[in-house]
Amino acid sequence: MLLTIAAAAMALAGANPLDGFAALLRGALGGTHQIGETLVATTSLLFPSLAVAFAFRAGLFNIGAEGQLVIGGLCAGLVGAALTVPGWIAIPLILFAGAFGGGAWGGIAGALRARFGGNEVIATLMLNIIAALLANYLVVGPLHAAGATGAETAGLPESSWLPILLPDTRLSIALLFGLALAGLLAFVFRRTVFGYALRAAGDAPEAAKRAGIDLPRTALLAMTLSGAIAGFGGATIVAGVLHRFNVALSPGYGFIAIAVALVGDLDPLWIVLAAFAFGILQSGSLTMQAFAHVPKDVVTFVEGLAILALATRRFVAPRGAAA
Amino acid sequence: MDELRGFLALTLIKATPLIFAALAGVVCERAGILNIALEGGLTAAAFTAVAVSFGTGSPLLGLAAGVLAGMALCALLGVAATRFHVDQIVAGTGLNLLAAGGTAFGLVVVFGQPGASPEVRALGTPGECVLIVAAFACAFLLQAVLDRTPWGLRLRACGENPQAVRSAGVDPRGMRVAATVVGGALAGLGGVFLSLGELDIYSDGMTAGRGFIALAAVIFGRWTPLGAAAAALAFGALSALQFVLQRAGVPSELMQALPYLAALAALTGIAGRARAPAADGVPMEG
Amino acid sequence: MPPALELRDVGKVYSGGVRAVDGVDLTLEAGEIHALCGENGAGKSTLAQIAAGKLAPSTGTVTGAERVGLVHQHFELVDRLRVWENVVLGREPRRGLRIDAAAARERVRALGTAYGLDVDPDAVVETLPVGIAQRVEILRELAREPRVLVLDEPTAVLAPVEIDALFATLRTLAASGTAILVITHKLQEVVTHATRVTVMRAGRVVLRAAVHDTSIDAIAHAMVGGDIPALAARATTVPAPAFEARGIAAGEGAHALRDASFAVRGGEIVGIAGVEGNGQSALTDAIAGILPYAGTMTLGGAALDGRDAAARIAAGIRTIPQDRQSEALVLDWSITDNAALGDHTRAPMRRGLAFDRGAARALATEIVARFDVRTPSIRTHVGALSGGNQQKVVVGRALAHDPALVIAYQPTRGIDVGAAALVQSRLIEARNAGAAVLLVSFELDEVLALSDRVLVLFRGAIAGTFERGAFDRARIGALMAGAS
Repeated sequence: MLLTIAAAAMALAGANPLDGFAALLRGALGGTHQIGETLVATTSLLFPSLAVAFAFRAGLFNIGAEGQLVIGGLCAGLVGAALTVPGWIAIPLILFAGAFGGGAWGGIAGALRARFGGNEVIATLMLNIIAALLANYLVVGPLHAAGATGAETAGLPESSWLPILLPDTRLSIALLFGLALAGLLAFVFRRTVFGYALRAAGDAPEAAKRAGIDLPRTALLAMTLSGAIAGFGGATIVAGVLHRFNVALSPGYGFIAIAVALVGDLDPLWIVLAAFAFGILQSGSLTMQAFAHVPKDVVTFVEGLAILALATRRFVAPRGAAA
Repeated sequence: MDELRGFLALTLIKATPLIFAALAGVVCERAGILNIALEGGLTAAAFTAVAVSFGTGSPLLGLAAGVLAGMALCALLGVAATRFHVDQIVAGTGLNLLAAGGTAFGLVVVFGQPGASPEVRALGTPGECVLIVAAFACAFLLQAVLDRTPWGLRLRACGENPQAVRSAGVDPRGMRVAATVVGGALAGLGGVFLSLGELDIYSDGMTAGRGFIALAAVIFGRWTPLGAAAAALAFGALSALQFVLQRAGVPSELMQALPYLAALAALTGIAGRARAPAADGVPMEG
Repeated sequence: MPPALELRDVGKVYSGGVRAVDGVDLTLEAGEIHALCGENGAGKSTLAQIAAGKLAPSTGTVTGAERVGLVHQHFELVDRLRVWENVVLGREPRRGLRIDAAAARERVRALGTAYGLDVDPDAVVETLPVGIAQRVEILRELAREPRVLVLDEPTAVLAPVEIDALFATLRTLAASGTAILVITHKLQEVVTHATRVTVMRAGRVVLRAAVHDTSIDAIAHAMVGGDIPALAARATTVPAPAFEARGIAAGEGAHALRDASFAVRGGEIVGIAGVEGNGQSALTDAIAGILPYAGTMTLGGAALDGRDAAARIAAGIRTIPQDRQSEALVLDWSITDNAALGDHTRAPMRRGLAFDRGAARALATEIVARFDVRTPSIRTHVGALSGGNQQKVVVGRALAHDPALVIAYQPTRGIDVGAAALVQSRLIEARNAGAAVLLVSFELDEVLALSDRVLVLFRGAIAGTFERGAFDRARIGALMAGAS
């Protein structure tokens, strides 16, 4: 059904839907370079999607993955541009800076929820916009890279760039980090006490409370870790793809991540597959626009539709009780 | 004096779409729907109004179309949440993406160019003033409807305890959908004002998060129409202040961020612990 | 005169094949007070919904459902609205486009005076005590001028004095021609106030009689379909100091705990008698560590104050919460995973960072065996179990690790008689083995049957103490209602 609507939309644009789909797939998978780009998009989506799913499992809505990603990327970019140490020291520091920044950003929403019972949906929505404004201000103003045309920071020294995984593409080892993280989260949920407590807080908050689980603390931890994962993702975009921080580093990955998390049924391993599917959409859309003259925004439109259609099927989100 | 008058005028202009959106937020939340798709509603309305004005040459038709677009988008949220049991936040996010993608796409389809539409016939200054007055009128009207009419009573009950409404013989799902339709119409007016009232074009991203500021206004306004409108007015003033202070060297981003920072502060209960409607955002059984 | 309500061969089958109601005939005459009795799960509430026209039967016919009012066990009122707003919701008197608030208030006053249900029309419902809030619920139904009024377990939240007042109101209503159907499991009320009684079991009618032609024993026998299982024997114990509370105050508002001082010794069951809403929840939550309190508590001589829920569980305080579905179990999880809840941070469930599911499985298996939990396997989702079996899991978990103090809050609420007897027996056995048991129940009969000592809780304070052998039922009832 989704395909029909997408096709109709393409037809409206005066393009041939078949050409559109063909261009999309060609653009996504048609060659090494294309596959590389698709996997880059997959990786960029994977981190915020895992972040969103992590929070969801704890009963929290993290709508702020976009902002956490931006702040994480910003921190990574600043640290990266300033460091002059060898790569093997710099890279972990850069990635850590990203996780730290995103974690702090998510932690603000978590603290508001834990301490004041503030609705984290509103908090994260507000923080998204504040993050964008903050990044804009810093990067256009005080931290602007001398001589750069865009709103971006100075570039990272080449030694601090993430090593490339697939030759002749932009795909870095960030993909491996993402896959490892998905595996780690799956393990945490199923096999650790921490994961057990987190799931209890999300699935049955009153029962969890009486079982001795500290709900406010869990909320704070969950939002912080969720933000850290998203921030780490931002850092990988900075260190692996752009090699600098640019305010336009994310075309809405944080929001698409919500769709990916849902499609993946909040399961880290399925989310990997879902991220790949959406990665195809993202990277193929540019080709689709260039060659079949279908505006790439039809993809965003379809993603929105996907959320509505998929959520109808079975999704009633667990809601954590007020702290 | 001229400066002051200019500032007041700018405040009203900036506040009007916020007031409409905030009122939309109040109607929906009092019925139990946390509508985070207000942003999408504003976008859809703003775009549709310009597109229809472009096609028909009539800004009034554009206004009507914009309102309908807002109603349609928000109604989708209502139906998804009540009939299909989609979580309200998830549905709202989906609709926002839908609106963002759909309007950017629409720019190319309708106008042949991305980014912004060409200038169209707009409502002009008289139309602008009518809408500004209408915004305030709606605030008072909505307050009276909520407090004094049967429909208002049932709506308020819906947002607190939909089960009680059902056992009183009224269908809470129908009420929630009706609330989203009314809210959508209000958001539609806000969106139309943005594109056809204040300006005469539509540009990508022109709503700039106003739909989210509106949610903050609802919290500050304690979920009442007059309160939310007052908060929206205050945010409008902040927005107008931005231009004045910018000349004094205050970064514009800081001014722009103020409403959002204020909303965060509101969450800490600084603005007093008014409670949201008990069933706000809570899905219903059956 | 035709009957006020007639149900003929009514049946209700849910998807999945569950037969909630099966071939029921029921006739209500104007002016009668008719009692409908049965265990939980017998189909009474379902039948009431069908009678009131809120639920469509799968088979059979209902005549007269349009004029039936239903007073729910858990009120369906909008707490933040006023009394008059709740009463006229859906049928608001109008003046033009607006509500005629004065007329609405007048209606509330008139109805209140006519039936002895006086309430202040402008009071906000959430500020009202439970007994008064019930009046609002009744008024709301009366405002619709029903020919039949159905009340589902109306006396569960009332003190003995208020129960008398309620039945006086019902008699007035009956005298004016309304047919009354009272769903209750309190057989004493049935024989005192009702004219006819119908007993349901497993969805079917098993007894139909005029009250003066039958007896409490006959009704009880019909409800259970046999004799009620006996409870475990009480062993002679030597109570040892265990839990002590002094000057406990917790919570806010009408249901707060104001001042409670008492002790529960190992090897005894202390029962808290009282009408719902007199501070029981605040008391149990405070002891469990999820509600801040003033005062001091000790367990085994060691101070508890300042220790959170997790620490108290570790110290040996286990709770059987009031609402198993939302407060004790994660319905989507298996019995295994639920068995570990509360112990998941300690060995054997926890090994370093890992959750040892094997240990959880062992515990789950033990609980299922010892508590006769009817389930296909320990991997079954707890949500798929019946209420009685769910409660057995909760009780089994609470009693599994030789707790020092067990708080049993409404341990047999909403479960069938067989499961209730098993739960009560296990509590007695825990007491025999030396545990301190604090029983909080709104069923006075249960409290009197199990306790070594009974404390009456009224308005957040302990109004009286009674030792086993000297349980003065009349006096206890009076204290529950506030007599001094």
